[in-house]
Amino acid sequence: MIKDRCQAIARSKWFLPLFSLGLGGVVLLASWLGGQLGAGVYGLVVLAVFGLVLLLLSGRSETIRGLTTGRDERFAMIDLRATAVAGLVLITAVIVAWLVEIARGHSGNPYGWLGALGGLAYILAVAFFRWRG
Amino acid sequence: MKNQVRELRTRRGLAQGQLAEAMGVSRQTINSIENDRYTPSLPLAIALARYFGVTVEEMFDDQGSLPGDRSL
Repeated sequence: MIKDRCQAIARSKWFLPLFSLGLGGVVLLASWLGGQLGAGVYGLVVLAVFGLVLLLLSGRSETIRGLTTGRDERFAMIDLRATAVAGLVLITAVIVAWLVEIARGHSGNPYGWLGALGGLAYILAVAFFRWRG
Repeated sequence: MKNQVRELRTRRGLAQGQLAEAMGVSRQTINSIENDRYTPSLPLAIALARYFGVTVEEMFDDQGSLPGDRSL
């Protein structure tokens, strides 16, 4: 029941735009705490505009509708593949950055830790989904 | 996977959007199935077959696409 409720909230057309706006607020707060208010305002504006674009175009574009309200089984599969591609790109970038840092004579951190986290998360996820069947 | 979805749909005079609404998926998903770009899940395949009153095997051509298929 809780899962259904969470899915219903996530499928609301307001979820992603509001999430984007909320993330912008967090960026603003973090930047303000770090003494970079200007960068925080810029981040908030970018994320707010992104959320607004999602909201306005959700009725016109299947891609954007799939990111918000209209996620059927095909789009869920597209989402899964896109997530896998994004993860692959990210882990590749982390490994390259780690190697570059090592080649420069540095420790390779934080890229080494990030790569280890990604690898560990993958192994745990495989074990979990295998156990779950 | 080749299938008879387009043929069965047009025979009933349905638009892709109408079939999509009946199945609870997007029109693009029906279009992708009809053009063999997307193989539906088992629940959706069964729902489509039931909707048109045929069996899943009649609707989808599994020739050579099943795991373990071997040409004799």
